[in-house]
Amino acid sequence: MEVTLSVKRFDPDSDQHSSYNQDYVVEMEESATVLDGLIKVREEVDGTLALRCSCRSAICGSCAMRVNGQARLACNTKLVDIVDSGKVVVEPAGNMEVVKDLVVDFSPFWDKVRDVKPWLDPEGPDPDPDQEYLASNEAMLDLAGVMACIMCGACVSDCTVLEVDPNFLGPAALAKAYRFVADPRDSDDEPRLSDLNEYGGMWDCTRCMQCVEVCPKGVDPMGRIMSLRDKAMATGYTSTYGARHSMAFTNGVRQEGRVDELSLPVLSKGVFNIVEQIKMIPLGIRAQLAGKRPPILPHKNPGQENVRRIFNRLDKHDNSPDRLEIPTAIIGLASPVVLTFVAIIAFLILQFYWNSESVSGLKPDAYQSGSVEPFTRFSYFHNCFWFYCDPETSGSELVVNSNAEAER
Amino acid sequence: MIDHDVLVIGAGLAGMRAALAASESGVDVAVISKVHPVRSHSNAAQGGINAALTDRGDPWEDHAFDTIKGSDYLADQNAVEVMCSEAGREVIAMEHMGVIFSRDDEGRLGTRAFGGQRQARTFFVADFTGQALLHVLYEQVLKVGVRTYEEWFVLSLIVEEGQCRGAIVMEIRTGDIHVIRAKAVILATGGLGRVFEPSTNALICTGDGMALAYREGVSLMDMEMVQYHPTTLKSNGALMSEGARGEGAYLINSDGERFMERYAPNMMELASRDVVSRSEQTEILEGRGVDGCVFLDCRHLGEKVINEKLSQISDLARDFANVDMSKQPVPIRPGMHYQMGGIKTDVDGCTSMRGLYAAGETACVSVHGGNRLGANSLLDTLVFGRRSGEHAANFARGVVERALNDGLIDRENRGIQAMMDRAGEGELFGSIRLDMGRTMNERLAVFRDDEGMRDAVSKLTELRNRFDSVAVTDKGKTFNTNLLFTLELGFMLDCAEAIALSGLERKESRGAHFRTDMPERDDKNWLKHILVSRGADGPIIENTPVIITQWEPQERKY
Amino acid sequence: MKYAFYPGCVSRGAAPELYDATVEVCSRLGIELEYDSMSGASCTGAGILQEKNLKLGDTLNARTFALAEKTGLPLMTICSTCQGVMSQANDRLKSDPEYLAEINKSLADEGLEYKGTADPRHLLWVLIEDVGIEKVKSLVVKPMTGFKAAPFYGCYIVRPSSALGFEENPDRQDSLEQVIEAVGAEVVDFPGKTLCCGFPIVMINEKNAVKMVANHTTDAKDLGADAMVTPCPLCHLNLDGYQPQAASMAKRPIDLPILHLPQMLGLAMGINPKDMRLNGHMVSTKKMLTKVAVSP
Repeated sequence: MEVTLSVKRFDPDSDQHSSYNQDYVVEMEESATVLDGLIKVREEVDGTLALRCSCRSAICGSCAMRVNGQARLACNTKLVDIVDSGKVVVEPAGNMEVVKDLVVDFSPFWDKVRDVKPWLDPEGPDPDPDQEYLASNEAMLDLAGVMACIMCGACVSDCTVLEVDPNFLGPAALAKAYRFVADPRDSDDEPRLSDLNEYGGMWDCTRCMQCVEVCPKGVDPMGRIMSLRDKAMATGYTSTYGARHSMAFTNGVRQEGRVDELSLPVLSKGVFNIVEQIKMIPLGIRAQLAGKRPPILPHKNPGQENVRRIFNRLDKHDNSPDRLEIPTAIIGLASPVVLTFVAIIAFLILQFYWNSESVSGLKPDAYQSGSVEPFTRFSYFHNCFWFYCDPETSGSELVVNSNAEAER
Repeated sequence: MIDHDVLVIGAGLAGMRAALAASESGVDVAVISKVHPVRSHSNAAQGGINAALTDRGDPWEDHAFDTIKGSDYLADQNAVEVMCSEAGREVIAMEHMGVIFSRDDEGRLGTRAFGGQRQARTFFVADFTGQALLHVLYEQVLKVGVRTYEEWFVLSLIVEEGQCRGAIVMEIRTGDIHVIRAKAVILATGGLGRVFEPSTNALICTGDGMALAYREGVSLMDMEMVQYHPTTLKSNGALMSEGARGEGAYLINSDGERFMERYAPNMMELASRDVVSRSEQTEILEGRGVDGCVFLDCRHLGEKVINEKLSQISDLARDFANVDMSKQPVPIRPGMHYQMGGIKTDVDGCTSMRGLYAAGETACVSVHGGNRLGANSLLDTLVFGRRSGEHAANFARGVVERALNDGLIDRENRGIQAMMDRAGEGELFGSIRLDMGRTMNERLAVFRDDEGMRDAVSKLTELRNRFDSVAVTDKGKTFNTNLLFTLELGFMLDCAEAIALSGLERKESRGAHFRTDMPERDDKNWLKHILVSRGADGPIIENTPVIITQWEPQERKY
Repeated sequence: MKYAFYPGCVSRGAAPELYDATVEVCSRLGIELEYDSMSGASCTGAGILQEKNLKLGDTLNARTFALAEKTGLPLMTICSTCQGVMSQANDRLKSDPEYLAEINKSLADEGLEYKGTADPRHLLWVLIEDVGIEKVKSLVVKPMTGFKAAPFYGCYIVRPSSALGFEENPDRQDSLEQVIEAVGAEVVDFPGKTLCCGFPIVMINEKNAVKMVANHTTDAKDLGADAMVTPCPLCHLNLDGYQPQAASMAKRPIDLPILHLPQMLGLAMGINPKDMRLNGHMVSTKKMLTKVAVSP
């Protein structure tokens, strides 16, 4: 079959300083892979095309690149499966600097792997050279899932967190860290978990599943990160925002059967974390003004005792049924009250700040007539005011009620 | 100039094991590799690593005998004794470093059966044992802080006054050339599979170390012994692990007959690899194959076994042969897999040159002789990697540093510049490599004869002439793989020459070297190794007797 | 067409406009919703509970599936996150009968048993697979001609693809674009449409979460989008609620309204914006509504 390989190229030695796409038309067999195509180009058409590749059987991890926008190993991606109207787009892996064509700089990748101290640290004196450490086959099989990682960088290429924060350790290094935390022979679990608890560590993952989706070896890096979180909380590292968020969320489901959106942010940041609580106030005001008001009193689902029974049966870390019930209720009540109070004060201040003309300029009739409002830095305040002034919106409580009727 | 006590070239299992051992001996060690260490081809070893744990009822002598019988009595028995007696501790040392070997019910190391052996003594990690070992060794290298030069390519060895003093290298990313001075150099560059087309080997297996040594007049040994693996896919040469036959898969011909009954009635499909490959090729040549293949039949194993234990090869069969292994037999054929020969060393990795060591597939101790047993290659890399690292460290301590000759970099630069300056119309490396690979695969495969090997030798001369005018189209300095492949092709042509000449020299059939014109083993005249080296006037062929300790050669039956 | 309706926590809490819009739109599409039998269904765990205790998460979802099974109706969600978490749980429960039997032990206390027949589907998929895109088109009374909408799926309705039935239902992969086109609007294809909105870490690493909002909204805006449309209320909360911070981080105006999927449908079907609480967003929908209103 005839395939057009559209390859993103970049050569720092050439006069052209930006990358460009170059199309190569090659005749390939039905069973051919993207890598077969690239090798054919390199050997027969254009010797200047640079890429890394070696084993051709998905074990060396050299040839991760973006194929049709997604990170894959070129060697186990069959052309016939992904060709789209005769064309396949090949680009270098993402989140890493391009060295030349499809070759990217892996140094930050390896640095992060090194950062997790990726070596076994057993306890005690040197072991008997004729006796292995005893370990269950089950534990080894679990680790085999992670050790199957070939460090190809596909997960790092497509990680959504690394895209915004190069400081994040990333899925590959965190999965590698899990491999040691979960190894029964390793004695360093606590220091490891403590390090991974820091900024850039396990809690920065968004659980977006990109790494799970693109991993060519089924390593499930995200699942490993989740296991690290579980182990960290079980070990007693419960004061991070992430851990608090997780525990507060779970507790909300235990108590009410659903997310308690009012207490969740308060509990995540920490009840006595005044600075962070204050920082949340503007958002709270905006939410209140927009009518985004979750039920003030935690609303228990009908039949919640059944859900709680399931929790009591299965929640391994927390079998004290009502541990957080009182704080939740208090915070659930307190935070909206406080926020509403602050909202009113803020509104009053702003009313002084904006003269009556600017407010009147934002009356509903302006909106109805379709006049376009110029952007200002405070446009969201404008919107808030508009909603507040709009008689339709100010009746939003009514809508909530009719809503509740619909539910019934 | 960069300075180290011990320079290890190659970062696969042998290289990193050597580096660790040398580092533990307290000298300054560096590893240089043309790929990142975890990209090395040791990854590809699927099945496992052999070790007889004597204290658990499997005497190491039994393993040694299986190895020697497998080698068709060409292995040096003193070396086999070293390897097999040290195997248990080596495997346990790797376990202590963190390898997640499969366990038995009591939490101790578990084993599986492998070809050519009477005992289940293969330790394993699922179907990626090589990868599991390689990554753990890399972890250890990080732990002890051995300096690694990743993606640096060795252009030549520095030899002064008959002693190896370092290497001249190119940093691939920048194209810059450097001199690394070292008191001892260990070559651990792996195999030469790409000399053959097709091959199960990775694209990086270009025989660099063997060629580097050969060019300096160091002896290569047993180069005619090239292993063809019995089960590779036709479409892309991918390896279908011996694990499949270990789990009970059959080999059948076009009549559906388990033909191994006629060739190895006792061991059947688990006879040694040379025997099985030869049997398959005979079936194909006698008309009982289909499209140049016979079949690997896993249907009777059931979906559960296939999914759980053979998932990787089941995927390969589906992707590259369009076959569902649980419903249809997979067409397979013998494919080039391993080079038993290599740089001649003693049991401490010492080559014929002072200061130069070799370990792993690039070396020939010789423990594999005419045919390597499955799961002995990993063991070879670790035991002899460690021993050469220790010896090299000791040797380095006694070496007095001296200034190197001037102009080393200029010399290499001139050679490369000559290649780069050739007009773009010249032939590209790709077609020369392909012609070489096909010639070797036709003339030095499972069956060989005098005429075919002579033809190969003359074809190689012709290819070398073509190589002299090969063009490098990429004129840049950054990550110039075009230049790299051209340099590798030069190494491969040297290796091909050594293989063909050694093959012509051995006038008998033994192990993987089977001559249709001389089908019998001849212990009287050929119980010896063939050595080949390059002299001022071209290749020099010599030989040396096989070392026999306690196992007299017998007829080999499986 | 009647469905056991699983609205998810957020449409009953911080995004009530989604709930209202869904109710309105479904009645026009001829979709009947069964509320009562599902009112005791708990949160799916949203992936957070799963990180602590996968089995607990699977049990809660099995309970929801069992409640739906009892109604004899197919199960419908309106949240990408709920969809994904349910699909993943269902995948595990259906592929391992032993596991399912063990999970069912915990349900037996309240007389429930999950038989493995549930097939939770998002409104988005229901539109394509049950209602039919032609029917959707036929209900459009105010075609959104000239309106440019950027699709934003939400992670869990696109990943992991193995659990989401993409092989059997390939249409699911571009379902949102199909719906945008069905209402007469133009699709603004932008790189972030299947990426993370940042919501899960907004309480943990707000800077990263806001940066994600900034990237996606500015990308879509630069490609000419009038609004972004999402089937995920969590994405809505982040992309809408944190857009002001994103704007100050990006040092530029953004003002990109984030519509819930049924809100966009409703606009095309002529439902009054206020009935779908389009005024209940943090980023004003005013300009956008003007554009829709003035279009022919």
